Amino acid sequence: MDVILPNLGFLLSGLATTAVLALISIVAGTVLGIVLGTLRYTSVPVLGQAAAIYIEFTRGIPLLVFLFLFYFALPALGGYKVSAYVAAAQGFSFFIGAYLAEDFRSGLRSVRPQLKQAARASGLTETQVFRHIVLPIALRRIIPTLFNQYVRLFKFTSVASVIGVSELTGRAMLVNAREFAPIAIIVTLALTYLVCCLALSSIGRALSHRFTVRT
Amino acid sequence: MSDRPMIEIESVSKWYESFRVLSDCTTAVGRGEVVVVCGPSGSGKSTLIKCVNGLEPYQEGRILVEGVEVGAKGTNLPELRAGIGMVFQHFELYPHLSVLENITLAQRQVLKRSKAEADERGRALLARVGLAEKERQMPADLSGGQQQRVAIARALALDPKAMLFDEPTSALDPEMIHEVLAVMSELAAEGMTMMVVTHEMGFARRVANRVVFMDEGRIVEDVETEAFFTAPESERGRDFLSKILNH
Repeated sequence: MDVILPNLGFLLSGLATTAVLALISIVAGTVLGIVLGTLRYTSVPVLGQAAAIYIEFTRGIPLLVFLFLFYFALPALGGYKVSAYVAAAQGFSFFIGAYLAEDFRSGLRSVRPQLKQAARASGLTETQVFRHIVLPIALRRIIPTLFNQYVRLFKFTSVASVIGVSELTGRAMLVNAREFAPIAIIVTLALTYLVCCLALSSIGRALSHRFTVRT
Repeated sequence: MSDRPMIEIESVSKWYESFRVLSDCTTAVGRGEVVVVCGPSGSGKSTLIKCVNGLEPYQEGRILVEGVEVGAKGTNLPELRAGIGMVFQHFELYPHLSVLENITLAQRQVLKRSKAEADERGRALLARVGLAEKERQMPADLSGGQQQRVAIARALALDPKAMLFDEPTSALDPEMIHEVLAVMSELAAEGMTMMVVTHEMGFARRVANRVVFMDEGRIVEDVETEAFFTAPESERGRDFLSKILNH
């Protein structure tokens, strides 16, 4: 405790950075996932195939390499500068978006064709069928999967310390370098992630219970 | 309006790949008429009824609903469908919406009614099918018969000119069939134009004006109800009736 307490403020602000980074990436990644998943689901020509290629590509690259891409390679290629924090947010969003896209797609595909037919029979257009029937049912059904991915992402954010983002893990390592108390510091670090992830998955369970679709 | 039938089906044929599911089907449903379509399973009854509101495309012939050709390129299918209610074998209620929301969704999205208007109409229809107290329930909380009555209310909410029923009681337990048929009989008595695919021959005999008997994608008989039950013209019709009536 005597190594943690004096550094508590420093570590907590790292935790805040981690939480905000995770939240931004979750929101952006989810939006990207819905868009890509919908393109895959409706098999829009060209765009649908482009989405498929993007998803395959991303899922075949290690997360750390993906972050390097956004921090070093793309800025060099495009001639722009980016902070480690922004690069990490971009990397995580695009990374998780590719995984979420497949989850969204399978959720969309879980809606029975007969149900869509019934919705069409009542005069709804294809867009209305998608917006009012297919999408809401799919979203509700994939809440558990979604939150599994969010928990994964929350833990992934520790990788951002490698490119120098001063988030929780990065700051814990700094404290450790100064105090050299690896047991206390790393156990505290691990427990902090654990508690956050448990909280996140219990939110997921509550939501999934609240919005369950019974047939 | 003219004496023209509400629904006209003229020489309609349909193929799935090379398999012909409908062969040269011709019939019509007049205003206020109740036509029962029956026949063995796989005879094309459901496919034919789904062609009427364009849920299934057909490759030959014409289907006209109040003179509008269903299969024509320029036809606004959502608009045409909004004027024809449809009830399905497996109810197809929206599982994520409450009973009342099931009935108000298309009213609001298609007919652009206000929430208050749609709710009022929805409640009136729920009362009419005997389910006024169920409006807040989810579909999964209702029995099959209740779900099917909600589905009928959902279809009626758009004030349809005609109703299509695709085996509305086939998925129901015997004790629930009656409650659904009762609602349908009431509708018929009020003068609703109806096309009903069903195996309920008692209902057909009591309610239908005409019976269309199908076999292997063809309309084999298209006659007055009494004529069908007392003296079916075709061998296959006689065979079907003897099997279905003497079980």
